[in-house]
Amino acid sequence: MEQTIDLSVDFAGLKLSNPVLTASGTCGYGDELAEFMDVSKLGGVIIKSITPAPRKGNPTPRIVETDAGMLNAIGLANIGLERFVHEKIPILEQLGTVVFVNVAGQMIDDYVQVVRRLSQERAIAGFELNISCPNVKQGSISFGTDPSQIRQITGQVKAACGAKPLIVKLTPQVTDICVLARAAVEAGADALSLVNTFTAMVIDIENRRPVLANRTGGLSGPAIKPIAIYLVSKVYQDVAKPAGIPILGGGGIRTASDVVEFMIAGATAVTIGTATFVQPDTATRVIDNLRNYCERKGIRSIRQLTGSLQ
Amino acid sequence: MKNGVNAGHKGVFTAEVLSNQQIRENYYRLNLRLDAIGSRYFQSAVPGQFLELDLSELPLPPEEKIPPALRDSAHRHILLRRPFSFSDVIVLPSHEGPCVKLEILYCVLGPATLRMMSLTSGTVVNVLGPLGNGFTIPKTLKRAILIAGGMGAPPLLHLGGYLKRHFSEVQTVCFAGARSCEDLPFTLKIGNITGLVLEEFDVLGIPSRVATDDGSAGFKGFVTECAGQWLSDNRPHPKDTILYACGPEPMLAEAAKLAEAFDLSCQVSMERRMACGIGLCQSCAVEIKTGATQTEYKLCCKDGPVFDSRKVVFQR
Ligand SMILES: Cc1cc2nc3c(=O)[nH]c(=O)nc-3n(C[C@H](O)[C@H](O)[C@H](O)COP(=O)(O)OP(=O)(O)OC[C@H]3O[C@@H](n4cnc5c(N)ncnc54)[C@H](O)[C@@H]3O)c2cc1C
Ligand SMILES: Cc1cc2nc3c(=O)[nH]c(=O)nc-3n(C[C@H](O)[C@H](O)[C@H](O)COP(=O)(O)O)c2cc1C
Ligand code: FES
Repeated sequence: MEQTIDLSVDFAGLKLSNPVLTASGTCGYGDELAEFMDVSKLGGVIIKSITPAPRKGNPTPRIVETDAGMLNAIGLANIGLERFVHEKIPILEQLGTVVFVNVAGQMIDDYVQVVRRLSQERAIAGFELNISCPNVKQGSISFGTDPSQIRQITGQVKAACGAKPLIVKLTPQVTDICVLARAAVEAGADALSLVNTFTAMVIDIENRRPVLANRTGGLSGPAIKPIAIYLVSKVYQDVAKPAGIPILGGGGIRTASDVVEFMIAGATAVTIGTATFVQPDTATRVIDNLRNYCERKGIRSIRQLTGSLQ
Repeated sequence: MKNGVNAGHKGVFTAEVLSNQQIRENYYRLNLRLDAIGSRYFQSAVPGQFLELDLSELPLPPEEKIPPALRDSAHRHILLRRPFSFSDVIVLPSHEGPCVKLEILYCVLGPATLRMMSLTSGTVVNVLGPLGNGFTIPKTLKRAILIAGGMGAPPLLHLGGYLKRHFSEVQTVCFAGARSCEDLPFTLKIGNITGLVLEEFDVLGIPSRVATDDGSAGFKGFVTECAGQWLSDNRPHPKDTILYACGPEPMLAEAAKLAEAFDLSCQVSMERRMACGIGLCQSCAVEIKTGATQTEYKLCCKDGPVFDSRKVVFQR
């Protein structure tokens, strides 16, 4: 007899049909992917960082490949709040999946402005606070490394969210990520997202210059997965589990086994980023393979996996 | 999948290698036969579009075949797909739907193109495409001037063939340049009147000129200088003439200047490092003028790779 396997998860007050989301900055505004897969099959999508005014982003080259990964320094290029509302929200309404918007800025007011405006939109389920982008000179990561600033920004943005959940995306580049995770949770974060990319550099040995125009970029892809797994398990044990707050885990996920690994470490849901560039339908393939894994292991509900590390 | 498998759409599919021939040191011609899905996607592909190949699982060629300059870096792993233009697309109708064959010209430069050397007939590769917007051919076009620099040649060869097939009344002339004759991805032969010509364009009935920076073949100097001389001598009418250029960015900038000097419109095909090829990552930005002083970034993969040369802010 065929058993039905329940892939759904409860995440920050929302029910997701499965734990797989596409990561901010790697799925455009959601519409580009619709040509390659049935987006409504996803647990959700996270739209790339939106700032109040449009941002052109950094000069090129903006990316470079490394062994088992890539560096990016896009510089939060985006169309800005107003164009996003007018051009993209009507498309997002048609996607048939849970949409989170990643929010960035230079000052706390920037974040508050975007979230307040978008909190009125039915098409948007919640927000991911980007205080961890390594590629812009002001704002972003500078908020993300200081617990008192995290407390302040999380508190103020949460107040602008209305009833919608707020995910705080942490940078892994700190001495003790748990201090920052705790600060976010205490200030009202509904979920924690980790990890963002790691600052890195590639040098062209012919001309002794960095390859990226921005000189440095964020490392993503399979290379960072074991570090991300470690950080998820640490934050889960020390902060998320005691506080009853879910983790959105990610970094280098390519396969269903990677997803399972993140969930065992403590993630409730996961994001797929760089892998989508290679295989645009990675996320839906992974969802199908998750079902196979559960079947093989006799797991009725995928929720059982979260934090099941022995 | 909202759009289904149709002409005008793009997607992921497989293709079988028909042949992979060396044309000169470090230059190869790859012929592929697309599967049924790919054939439907590609049946209306136009010159200037491109595709992305997943080469990450191909083996390295035998040690002795690896060019000495690449031996050290050959073992670097590949993660991302690699973008390639095509130099020809042939649609063969059949009862089961179209069957598309396409040709890629490639230069061995690094770990991915090195692995392409190992492709042999029968190997199956994973393809994403067709991507981007190709060259625009207005109905009023009477004269097309193609300017190819180095590995910028493939889409212009495709354009030449496409014009002959679908716009046979358009007069086309091609200028191809490279650092030296070793870097021209073409076969050279002696023409009837004009000295060296390119075999690949000659068979299409398109007159061609060769320029090399070092003078090892044809005109000594930049290909844009060679085209400039021809433009001075021939003065084509601005209203029905278009310059089509593809090659390294400094060459495209020169082609843009040439177009301005002769009051011609000019379409340039740009290259950028690409992570996704489909508009997801914003890595492939091209700076485009939107006003007297304002600019914005457009995506090479999605809005391009072909742009109006007057709009592009070229990088040095
Ligand atoms: C739209 C488009 C069409 C292309 N068409 C063709 C084609 O028809 N035939 C062909 O041989 N090549 C073409 N290329 C270039 C081709 O994609 C690269 O040569 C290839 O990715 C190199 O991969 P690799 O791993 O062998 O070398 P890598 O080690 O990745 O690169 C080798 C060298 O090439 C440079 N390079 C790599 N990618 C790019 C890029 N996208 N733009 C500019 N410089 C780059 C690097 O700086 C490096 O010095 C095209 C590129 C684009 C964007
Ligand atoms: C090209 C690119 C652009 C990105 N842009 C953003 C962004 O705008 N905001 C953000 O919070 N994270 C951004 N990220 C980080 C990803 O969302 C993700 O956290 C990271 O890449 C790790 O996951 P991965 O290894 O699966 O890609 C970006 C990553 C890449 C590769
Ligand atoms: S290559 Fe990703 S947006 Fe162009």
